Amino acid sequence: MILLKDVTKVYQTKTIETTALNNISLEVPTGEFLSIMGPSGCGKSTLLNIMGMIDEPTSGQVAIQGQAVSDYHTKAVARFRNEKLGFIFQSFHLINELPVIDNVELPLIYRRISGKKRREMAQTALEQVGLKNRMKHFPGQLSGGQKQRVAIARAIVGQPNIILADEPTGNLDSVMGNEIMEILLNLNKELGTTIVMVTHDETMARKTHRLVRLFDGSQVL
Amino acid sequence: MTRHILRLIWNKKRSNALLFLEIFFAFLILFAVFTIVTRYMRMYQSPLGFQTENIWIVHMNLNPVTDTTATQDMKVRLKQELKALPEVESASYSGFVTPISNSSWSTSSDDNGFEISTHMMYGDLDYMETMGINLVQGRWFNESDRDARYQPLIISKKLFDESFKGRNLTDSIYDINGEKRIVGVIDHFKYKGDFAEEVNLSFFYGEDKTLDLPNLHLRVAPGTPAAFEEEVNTLVADITKRNDFRIEHLQTTRESRARQVWIPIIALLSICGFLVINVSMGLFGILWYTISKRRSEIGLRRTLGASKSEITLQFVGEILVVCLGGIILGAIFAVQFPLLNVFPIESINYYLAMIFSAALILILVVSCAFYPSQQAARIHPALALHEE
Repeated sequence: MILLKDVTKVYQTKTIETTALNNISLEVPTGEFLSIMGPSGCGKSTLLNIMGMIDEPTSGQVAIQGQAVSDYHTKAVARFRNEKLGFIFQSFHLINELPVIDNVELPLIYRRISGKKRREMAQTALEQVGLKNRMKHFPGQLSGGQKQRVAIARAIVGQPNIILADEPTGNLDSVMGNEIMEILLNLNKELGTTIVMVTHDETMARKTHRLVRLFDGSQVL
Repeated sequence: MTRHILRLIWNKKRSNALLFLEIFFAFLILFAVFTIVTRYMRMYQSPLGFQTENIWIVHMNLNPVTDTTATQDMKVRLKQELKALPEVESASYSGFVTPISNSSWSTSSDDNGFEISTHMMYGDLDYMETMGINLVQGRWFNESDRDARYQPLIISKKLFDESFKGRNLTDSIYDINGEKRIVGVIDHFKYKGDFAEEVNLSFFYGEDKTLDLPNLHLRVAPGTPAAFEEEVNTLVADITKRNDFRIEHLQTTRESRARQVWIPIIALLSICGFLVINVSMGLFGILWYTISKRRSEIGLRRTLGASKSEITLQFVGEILVVCLGGIILGAIFAVQFPLLNVFPIESINYYLAMIFSAALILILVVSCAFYPSQQAARIHPALALHEE
């Protein structure tokens, strides 16, 4: 379960202070598929980053699986992200110099898993997203949809409890977007993975359990 | 992780090629410089084997000789009168070849199928004492050698080790420029100076009156003022009735000769230092560029669970592997020099130069890689991911 209480995030430069999130309180129960919608710059990605422990709130509390995020020290945060969280990004963030299989293995490297075991786990994850036959290809040789499927395989390879997806269908056409959405829905349904997805697409958002809308950093729905 | 880094480096081989080549050429240049420097330093560190401090040499020209007996008597008298001066501790005559001069004289003989090659010097009974030579076996020349059946010979330890090791030389007769009896073995004697390799050397006996020993060596007391040279000059001129002699201060000659080697060594080391600075700047530049190009990858890795130290380690590791590749290729080229004996240089100099070059490059690379890698580790994942 993800719990946010009065979370505020303010970005401050020498001259400008921007409130990205304003007193957000949110609870995401285990197994829920939640979508977050809102116009550009309303703080969706910031909220997702705070849930993913890659950004810190200016004030407020965040607890994941019953543990306050502020209790973790830096290394523990890295370990927690590695073991419990999976990330999917709009622009895929694949390493172009590594073949698909190595990209998928990436989170496992930091988990000190043996090479053989890593390969097995990565193959299983690629099989789940229907890309087992592309594992030796490089990202540059794949379509946008395939790249996003690789990113999903990378997110699920470590069997995380929570997947945080930042506009996973944003760079894809509707057919490929639907394919990706199906994969995410299946993950949620079959494995019970909690998924928080930021999206601009109302149709995709309606397929999830719950929709949260943000406007100017505040929750409006 | 290692395999992951290796695969990443291999797949980025084009972008790593420049760094690889830079290290390869830097290694070869450093290897060349260090081979020269190591060789000279090793020669410099090996003992000279004789004193130069307070040693003066009177180089005399005895030609043309009109009255041999008178000249011989003059030589004996000159030595005696100089020795009688309180400032002179010891005096002796040597042959035409004197230490740290450009002169050399060598011979080789066939001794029952064994070739014995040696450089030759002549000295009288007092030469060892005057020059402070260290004897390791047997004795120096003495009065009994004047009328001995075989001419006495004193050889250097280097010659002994090369040609006579394990043999008892007592009363042994060997054919070295004619039959000679080896009576003693001296320790080191690098007669060509500090920056010269020690050569096989044999001392042949010469009486102080002999005309073939025209150079009079004087060991003056420590602290003898330079003005004493005038007194020596006057005495030599009075006795020899000539003024075409020259007084050499061996220590000055030694220092002057050493300077002739130090200057190119310092020049080479300066070039080397310049190269090192260039390589460092290049490495820094490459690393900064790499990090700026790979910010999103760093952000991704941090997001996926890499700790700061793992990011630092990865970047340092990547650069180290590429550099090791350049060093290994350079070492494959470099090792051909000792294996094929390309130049007459002891192999150990090449191997030491390879070690020094590799060590310097590795230290440099780690130092240059560490700071940018730490900076990479500090990149905030949320910002790095957002930038793309």
